[in-house]
Amino acid sequence: MNGAPVAPSEVPHPPVDALAEFLFKYRPAAFARGALGADPVVPVLLVVALASAVAGLGLWALARQASHEAPRIRGTLGGLRVAAIALLAWCLCRPVLVVAESVAQRNVVAVLVDDSRSMRIADVGGQTRAQAALRLAGGADSALLRALGDRYQVRVYRTSAPGRVTEPAALPFDGARTRLLGAVTRVEDELAGAPLAGVVVLTDGADNGARDAGASGMTEQLSTLRARGVPVYPVGLGSARFAKDIEVAQLEVPRAALRNATVLVDVLVSHRGFGGATLPVIAEDGGRIVAQGTVTLAREGEAASVRLRVPVTEAGARVLRVRVPPQPGELVTENNERRVLITVRDRKEKVLFVDGEPRPEIKFARRAVSGDQQLQLVTLLRSAKDKYLRLGVDDSLELVNGFPTTRAQLFAYRAIVLGSIEANFFTADQLRMLADFVSERGGGLLALGGRASFGEGGWAGTPLADVLPVELGVMARGDSLHAVEIKAGLTPAGLRHPALQVMPTDSTVAERWRTLPPLTTVNALPRAKSGATVLLEGTLGDRTVRPLLAMQRYGKGRVLALGAQDDWLWQMHAEMAVEDSTHERLWRQMLRWLVSEVPDRAELAPIGEAARGEAVSLRALVRDSVFLGRNGASVSATVTAPGGKAQEVAFDWAVDRDGEYAASFVPDSDGVHEVRVRAVSGRDTTLAASAYVLVADPTDEYFGAERRDALLAQLANETGGHGYDADHATDVARDLVYSPSGATQVRRLDLWDMPVVFVVLTMLLGGEWWLRRRRGLA
Amino acid sequence: MTRRRWTMFALVLLVPALAVGAQRFSRTAPGEHPNPNAEYDGRFTFIRVKFTPLNTGWDLKWDHDYPVAETHLLKIMEEVSTVRSHLPETSIYGFSDAELFKYPVAYVSEPGFWTMNEAELAGIRAYVNKGGFIIFDDFSSRHWINFEDKWRRAFPNLALVKLDITHPIFDAFYRIKTLDMTHPYFGLTSEFWGAYEDNDPSKRLVMIANYNNDIGDYMEWSDSNLLPVPLTNEAYKLAVNYVVYALTH
Repeated sequence: MNGAPVAPSEVPHPPVDALAEFLFKYRPAAFARGALGADPVVPVLLVVALASAVAGLGLWALARQASHEAPRIRGTLGGLRVAAIALLAWCLCRPVLVVAESVAQRNVVAVLVDDSRSMRIADVGGQTRAQAALRLAGGADSALLRALGDRYQVRVYRTSAPGRVTEPAALPFDGARTRLLGAVTRVEDELAGAPLAGVVVLTDGADNGARDAGASGMTEQLSTLRARGVPVYPVGLGSARFAKDIEVAQLEVPRAALRNATVLVDVLVSHRGFGGATLPVIAEDGGRIVAQGTVTLAREGEAASVRLRVPVTEAGARVLRVRVPPQPGELVTENNERRVLITVRDRKEKVLFVDGEPRPEIKFARRAVSGDQQLQLVTLLRSAKDKYLRLGVDDSLELVNGFPTTRAQLFAYRAIVLGSIEANFFTADQLRMLADFVSERGGGLLALGGRASFGEGGWAGTPLADVLPVELGVMARGDSLHAVEIKAGLTPAGLRHPALQVMPTDSTVAERWRTLPPLTTVNALPRAKSGATVLLEGTLGDRTVRPLLAMQRYGKGRVLALGAQDDWLWQMHAEMAVEDSTHERLWRQMLRWLVSEVPDRAELAPIGEAARGEAVSLRALVRDSVFLGRNGASVSATVTAPGGKAQEVAFDWAVDRDGEYAASFVPDSDGVHEVRVRAVSGRDTTLAASAYVLVADPTDEYFGAERRDALLAQLANETGGHGYDADHATDVARDLVYSPSGATQVRRLDLWDMPVVFVVLTMLLGGEWWLRRRRGLA
Repeated sequence: MTRRRWTMFALVLLVPALAVGAQRFSRTAPGEHPNPNAEYDGRFTFIRVKFTPLNTGWDLKWDHDYPVAETHLLKIMEEVSTVRSHLPETSIYGFSDAELFKYPVAYVSEPGFWTMNEAELAGIRAYVNKGGFIIFDDFSSRHWINFEDKWRRAFPNLALVKLDITHPIFDAFYRIKTLDMTHPYFGLTSEFWGAYEDNDPSKRLVMIANYNNDIGDYMEWSDSNLLPVPLTNEAYKLAVNYVVYALTH
C-alpha cells in the first residue's frame, strides 16, 4: 500500500512500537502517559530484608566456592546474582503502571478526512490518497472505523467544510485549500461538551490555510490545540518523496511596477529526479509569451533559479504566469506553473533634484529621464547665492522660494536626488525634514557625489548622515579636493538589483559593468554601513576598494548613495558608443526603484490572490499631508468584477492602528477585480487609490504536495498524540485507550509479568550459570 | 565734414585696429604655443576647439581671443554664479580628441574658417549626439556660408533655427531683455542661431551660434575701455547663460 519510507525522527516507527509492546506488555503510549506505582503483596520492607538476606547468603557462598578466582570474576558473578535477586524482589513488590484509560463506549473519537484536491494524487500504491483514506474511513465496515467503533462513538468530519460527514465515501475531494490545523480546531469546537478522546486525521499533511488574509500562524494554531489537551493522531497518506516532479517553487517579483519598466522575475524551480536537466521556463501575460529562459537543475533536492526580464508596457493589472512545460514521468503537473498579479501604474512620479552648482550631472540626469513618461524630474538648482534655476516645475509657484520649508511641500515628492550641495545650505528643520522624508514619509533618496556632497559637504553629524548607507569621511573641502579615478565593479547584490539591469541578460549585464570607463570621485566614502548593501564597488588607482553605489532601507524609505561626481561620463566618454543606453537606463531604473514602494496618502494594502466565495480582507491606509495616519475619515470602495458588476464596500476604522480602515467582500466570479477606494478626510480632502485582486481557482494544493511528515509529527507531539502511516493506522485504536481526554478511569496495570522481566531474569541467571561453567565452578 | 573731422574719424577707427593688431601680431598665433591643458577633475573647464583653418596662412583663427577671453569669463562666472570653474587653466582639444568627451561644453571661434577631417566629423557627431553643447562665435557676414556648409555636412538633418529672446537659454541665469546687439567692430546686427536635438524645439539646443557677433572679443577686451561696457556686459551675460544652460539642459 504505502511503501514510502518514513523518517524515524518524524513519525514513530511502527515495528519498533510493536517490539516495545511485546516486551513491555503495553503500548508505549501507556508508559508515556502513566506513572509507576506498587501494589505489594507483602510489606516492602520485609521483601527488602528477605532479599538482602538471600543476597548476602548467596555472596557468602560464592565467596567460599570461588575464593581462588580473580576479583574481577568474583565481582561479575556476584553482580549477576545480586541483580537477579533484586529483580525478583522488585517483582515481589508488584510494580504497577497507573494510567488513565478511556471508558469504553463513553467517549467520542473524531475522524477528520482531508478532502482537499491534493488527495487526488495517485501515489499510494497506484491508488489515490483519497482512496486510501476511504479504505480506512469510507464506511462503518472500513478498517479504521471498525477498530475504533469497538470502544468509541466515531464521528467523521472533513477539512474543507464544517459539519459531520454521514457518507464519507461520497466525498468529492475537491477542497481548494487545506486548513488542517484550522479544521482540527473546528472539529474540537463542534464537539465541545462531548467526551472527546482524540482526533484522528487522515491527511497528506498539507496546510496552506495560513496564507489566507487574517489567518493566524501555524505556531499559534498549534499552541491553541496543545492548550485544549485533546490528542491528535495524524495518519499520513501519500508519498513522502515523488520519483519525478518539477515544481515552480517560488516567484520573486515586485507586486507593483511603473509602466514601461522591465520587471525582474526570479523563478525558483525545485525538482525530483531531473538532476542535470536543462528545461525551458516561460513567462506569459494574457496568453502571450513575454519572456523565456532556461534553468539547469542541480542535483537531487536542490532548487535552481532563473531570472526572467519581463517588460510591462500596459497599465493596469497584469497576471503573469510562469511555467515549466510538463516533463515525462511527472505525477503532478499542476505545480509546474505559478501565477502572480502585478499592478502596472501609469502615472508620473515626481522626483526633486536639488543641486548647489550647475554641473553636467544635472544635464545628463534630466536627459536620461526626459524620455520616461513615468518620471518627472523637478530640478532646483542654486545657480548663485539666493538664486535658483527651476526646471520641470508644474507651475510658476513651485519651489519659488527655494527648497521646501514645510513637510507638506516636501512630502509631495516621491523621491529626492541630493546633488553637490553643502549641509549648511539647509536649515536644521529642513535637515530633519529630509531625514523624515525617508524614514516617515517613505520617500526615496539618491545622494550623489560632488565637491559639496557627503562628508566633504559637512553632512556628517546631520540627521541625514544616519539615513545614508555609507560612512562619511572627509577628503578635503571645496576646490582643494583632488579627484581620483574610480572603476566600477558589479557585486553579486548589484547583479540582482533592478537598478543595474542595463542589459538584457545576466551575463551581458556583468560584462557591461565590467567594461564601463572609470569615473572620478572627490568624496571619501570609506565603507558601507553594516545594514547597507553595496551594489557597485569602486576600485581606486591604488587598488583601494570603496563603495561606489550602496543602498539601504531607512525607516519606510529606500536610499541610494552614488559616490562618483560624474556618472554622466557613462554617457559622454569617448569609449561609450553613441547608442549606448547604460547611463539612461541606470538613472531611470534607480529612480524607478526609489519610487516603486513609496506610499500614497491613501492606499490599499496588497491583496494578491483570492478564491471565489471566500471573503477578501481589504485594508485601507489613509494619511494626512505629512503622512501621519488620519483617523475619522469616511472610507468606502467600489469593487468592480471583470464583467463590470460593481459592489460598494464600506470600511471601518481599525481601532488599534492610526489611519487604518478595514473591510471585506466576497467575490462571486473569477478574474481580476478592481478595488477603487475613496477616503474623505476633513471637509474637502478626497483621496483615491486603487488596487487589484485576482480571484481564481487556488492551486496551492499542488505545491509541496508530497506527504509532509514534519507537520504531522509536530501536530502529534504538540497535542500528545501519535503519528502513523497508512499500514498501521488501526493501531490508533489501541493508543487512544490511554488518552487523558474525555471520560477516563484510572487503571493499575501489573508490570511484574512483563516479558521483558523474564527475559532479563533469564539473562542474569543464565549469564551466571554460563560463567560458572566456564570457570569450572558448576 | 571738415578735414579735421575726417582726421578724427580716421583716428577713432585706427586706434582700436592698431590695438587689436598689436595684441595679435605681438604673440603671433597664441594657438601655436598654448598653455598646458587643464587636468580633468570634474569642475567646469573652458574648452576651445581647434581645427585646421581654411586657407588663412599663419592665422589659426580658432585661437582668437585665447586665452584672455576664457580666463575673463571663468573669473566672472566664479564671481557671479555657483559654477565651480577650473581656474586659471583652460583646455584646447579637437573634435577628434577623446579627452574632449569629458567636457560637455565646447567653444568654437571663427567658424567661418572651420574645416573638419573625417575623424573630426565623426567626433563632432558623437559629441553632439551624446549630449555635448557647442558655442560658435566670432563670425559674420560671408563666414556664414562656410559655417552652414560644415554644419550641414556634420548634421544634414539638424536645421539651423534663428532664436528669439523667448528661448530659455536667454533666461538660464540672467534674464536677458534684448538681443539687440552689434558686432564689436563691423556694426553688423547680431543674430543667434541654434539647432535642436531631433529638430524638436521642446528638446535641448545642441549648439548656439553668435552670428555677426564676437562675444569672445568683448570678453577679451573687457579689462580695457576698447569696447562699450554695456555690450561687453551683454556678452558676459550671454556667455554665462550659455554655460549654465549647457550644464543643465
